[in-house]
Parts: sequence; C-alpha cells; structure tokens
Amino acid sequence: MGTPAFHGPLERVDDCCWRIPRSYKPGMRVDGLIFSSERLMSQVLDDQAPEQVANVAFLPGIQRASIAMPDIHWGYGFPIGGVCATDPAEGGVISPGGVGYDINCGVRVVRTSLDVEEVRPRLQELVEALFRRVPLGVGRGGAYEFDARTLKRLMEQGPRELARRGLATARDVEFTEAGGRLEDADPDRVSERALKRGRDQCGSLGSGNHFLEVQVVERVLDEAAAEVLGLPLGRVCVMIHSGSRGLGYQVCDDALKALRGVPEKYRIRLPDAQLACAPVESAEGRAYLATMRAAGNFAWCNRQLLMWQTREVFEQVFGRSWEELGMQLVYDVAHNIAKLEEHVIDGRARRVWVHRKGATRAFPPQHPEIPEAYRAIGQPVLIPGDMGRASWVLVGRPGSMERSFGTTCHGAGRAMSRTAAVRSSAGRRIDHELAERGVVARAQSWRGLAEEQPDAYKDVDLVVDVVERAGLSKKVARLRPIGVVKG
Amino acid sequence: MRATWTDPQATSEAVYEQFEHTADLGLRVTAPDLDSLFREAAEGLFAIIVEPAPAAGPSERLEFELTGERLDWLLFDWLNELLFVFESRRLVLDGFEVRLGERGLAASAQARPFAPGRQPALHEVKAITYHGLKVQPAADGGWLAEVIVDI
Repeated sequence: MGTPAFHGPLERVDDCCWRIPRSYKPGMRVDGLIFSSERLMSQVLDDQAPEQVANVAFLPGIQRASIAMPDIHWGYGFPIGGVCATDPAEGGVISPGGVGYDINCGVRVVRTSLDVEEVRPRLQELVEALFRRVPLGVGRGGAYEFDARTLKRLMEQGPRELARRGLATARDVEFTEAGGRLEDADPDRVSERALKRGRDQCGSLGSGNHFLEVQVVERVLDEAAAEVLGLPLGRVCVMIHSGSRGLGYQVCDDALKALRGVPEKYRIRLPDAQLACAPVESAEGRAYLATMRAAGNFAWCNRQLLMWQTREVFEQVFGRSWEELGMQLVYDVAHNIAKLEEHVIDGRARRVWVHRKGATRAFPPQHPEIPEAYRAIGQPVLIPGDMGRASWVLVGRPGSMERSFGTTCHGAGRAMSRTAAVRSSAGRRIDHELAERGVVARAQSWRGLAEEQPDAYKDVDLVVDVVERAGLSKKVARLRPIGVVKG
Repeated sequence: MRATWTDPQATSEAVYEQFEHTADLGLRVTAPDLDSLFREAAEGLFAIIVEPAPAAGPSERLEFELTGERLDWLLFDWLNELLFVFESRRLVLDGFEVRLGERGLAASAQARPFAPGRQPALHEVKAITYHGLKVQPAADGGWLAEVIVDI
C-alpha cells in the first residue's frame, strides 16, 4: 500500500511463530514475536508493521517479548495487533499508542432463542428497524443524552450505573469483561472537550469499521462450549462492534499532547515519537491511566446501550419481550486497552500492564476473572470478520498466559486501503452483491459500504486458524452475517 | 522558516489530495506559502468528513487563535480544533482565512450547521494523528504538508 516493506531479520520459531531478534536494533530490550502463517506472513512483510513490533521492544520495563497477532497491520507507533506487557517495578511505562484512539473499542455478542428460519421472513424489517433506531454514522449522537455529572458516574462505574437506571441487568454486568469497570478511573481528570464530545454519544455506533450485525451460527466446532454459551447450530445472535466514541478519542488526543516532551524528561529513548509514554509510576503516567480507565468504562456503557436498543428493536419486530426472546449477553470483550494483570514471569507472579492494541484478552479455563458459568470452558473471545463472510467465537485455552499474556487476535485485518476499496467498487452495488450472498445490508453511505466491503479484509478464517494452531485460543463457532447495519 | 512569502517559481496554487494508508486516510497539501497551506489543509479535512456542497443556510464567522512554534504541531492543533468544532457543535466550516505569525496562528472560517440531508457525511474522523505528520519546504520553493487521520 505504498509503504516500504520490512527487510529486517526474521527467525522461524515454529510452525506459526517468527522472531525478530533483539540484536536487530540496539535499544531493543526483548525479542519481537509474530504469530502468523506462511500465507499471512507474506502480507505482513509488505509494510512496516514488523518494524513497529521491533520498536515496541524499546519500551522500558517490557517483559518477555514484543508480541504481534496474525491480524497485525501497520498502526501508529504500535502495530495494530500488538501486545506488550510492562512491569512498573522495573520502570515500566504506559503508552497511549499501545491502547489506541478508540479506548476500549471492543465487541459483544447477544444470543437469542430464535432460529434462522424464524428470522429470515422478518429480516428486511428487522435490519431496517435497527438501522432507524440505533444512532450511527458521522456527527450523530445517541438517543441518550447525559449531563456532565451523570457522564462522570458512567465513567466511574461503567454499566453498573446503567443497571441502577434500568438500562442494564446484573447479568449484563457480570458477563462483561472486568464487570464493565476498571477501578481507579478518575472522571474529574477527563477534559471538558472529551465531555463535550461524549455528551450525547453513549449508545451510538459511530462509523468506519464499527457495525451491528445479525448473525447465524453456521458451524460449531466445540459443541460443549457452544452449548454453554447458548450458541447452537442455526441459532441467531447479534454482534456489536464499537468503542468509546468521541470521548475516548479525545482522551487519547489529550494524553498524547500532555506527553509531548515527557519521554525526554525521563530519558526514555524511543525509535518513533508515536510510542510516547511515561513511567506508570509517574504523575504523567498516572494521569493517563486515570482517564484511560474512565474512557474504558464509558465504552462499556456505550456497547451496553447499543445492546439495550437492539433488544428493544427485537421486541418491537417479534412482539415478545427480550427476555422471552432469550436475548442474553454472551460476553463483551475489549480489544484496545491496557490492564494491570498478574502473570508468572521467570517463575514469579508479577503485576504487569498488558497493552492490547487490536488484540483480545483470552484467559484460559479456571481463570478467576472469567464468570463462574464459563470457568470450565475458558473466556469467550469474539472475533469480528467481514460483513460478507464470517465472524468467530473462540475461547481461551491453557498455555495462552505463557505464550501471549493470555491474548489472541481481534479481527481479520485490512487487506485493502480505504481508497483502494472505493476504487475497486466503481460501477458495483455492494449492497446487491451482499444480498446475493444472503446478507441484508443498510449503511449510511455507499462509500461506507464500499470501504468496508468483504474484499477489503483478509480472510478471518486464516487468522483464526493461526491462533488456534499457536495455542492462543480455541474455535467454538463460526458466525455468518445475515443482516448488517453500518454507520 | 516562519516567514510567509511567495516565490514566483513556487507552486502557484494550494491543492490537497488524499493518499492511502492501510485502515485510514492521508491528506497531502502543497501550497506556495504557509497561510494557504494551512487553509488548504482545513479544506482537505472537511472534504474527508462531508461531501462537497454549495454553501446554503444561515452561517456565522468563527475566529480561532492558536499558539505554537513547531509548524507540524501547529498544523496538528489547527486541524484538531476544526474537528472538535465539527464534533461538539455539529458545524461544517469553509471560507477559511489563515494567518501565521511568530507565535502561532490566527484564523477565521464560515460555519454552518451540519445538514446531512443536504450534505451527506463521508467519514467519521476519530482523530488527527502524529503518524507521518510533516510540514516542510517543498523542492519548488513552496510548502508541503502531510497528515494521516484515524477513521
């Protein structure tokens, strides 16, 4: 895509892992590790994403390795699909670039008790109603407008605050990663600008790659796990992909501005200014963490309200309550976030800051942070693919903690730039093409559909194959989209 | 570096174009002088956000003042300011006038309420990024700026 290819050293570790040795650049504190396959690797080397993996290895306090998932692509400082853990006890840093602009961008899946045959006859009506009800697209706020005080409560409490207001249930909260609340969020440090941008955006989808999809379970690979998750073959569910909206983007922006000159202050040598960071145990580091957590909690509220509106639309279309329709939250995962977690490193339990930039937590069975009901199968992992082919539900598996700090991939990764995708759709009707594949799609603009067309993405099946073979997570079910709503 | 001047051999008019970046969009601007470079960058940003449409409806003139010595960060702050106005007040801006001085920038623009029915939206710009951000003299004596926006 017009960017220089990577020509640095690469050593094959095993069938699905490559190493960029620490010796590649003076200043790298650890190796780089890229989980991939022969086929995907050829695309990975097309741009500077591997260079970014090496650059992340410069960060003070980084543990084990700078890691990349098979859906890696070129990002800002950090690669998208990058994972890095830093230990505050060793001068470890926190870096907003390792979280991203869309703080706590993530995915949730809501199941239903409806089979695809029951939904098909109403699908057009359902997609149309979702499109009209759920606020989406550019410059559109949500159906909910919160004053500054309430907004701060949402940022402090996450969806628990919505439960208090009758817009979430205790079960919804329980089945959200981290219970939808990162502790020690400090909304008072969130800027006026961020509050203004977020004021009416809680419960709105946004645009770009965010979506709401009606999907059907078309293949089950682990029947026992699918049963526990309530996703048997032929069952309809809804996948929601969105983040912290303008509020989170502004928090990141504010942090990057506040960090101008800070790495120099702490004599941190960086190969790329976009890796701007501060020691976790510094005033600047703590300030970012307090606002990052607030934006993260806001994002969980956003996805909760998107789900709430989805339930209301289903009630209206199918004439039954959402409880009767079995619309329980399967799980909600973050894929742009940094979290303080305990990991065993060099034989010792340590609390490290795990940055996941376009990567999903995938804790193995029995991990205490997994809801009781799922503890035997592992943490559910929700992987959005593209709007024509598939998305996936996986679960964490033993070994992932040691291999990748309990992390797996987050999506398909783009294969085409936005401009190339628009060029390739000249003279085509993407919505008609999708209809031929059995997908009813509604989008705010033809350009949005063109940019997000299936061919613009890599094949998510290939990505998921790698993370399974690498032992990072395990396939449970393949979901096929039948209804798509885009901003 | 900071003086605004026009070289007769330089780029005769300010232009912007979009360029590719994997998941996002790049904006490349060339102009004979810094004032028009910053003006054109502002036009280019709104061309990413909304479809072009003839000006219509009531409007107001907004004034901006930004301080900053580094040209690339000043461009970043300028575009960021415009994005904030669009996001927080739902205003679409055009008719930019920009003047760079020793300590920063003074500008004004015509602002109209965003009316998606008349002027459809194209992209939600999440943020202006520092990735590949540059403001530099061009080979022909004019100026070149590049910025990537997160979509």
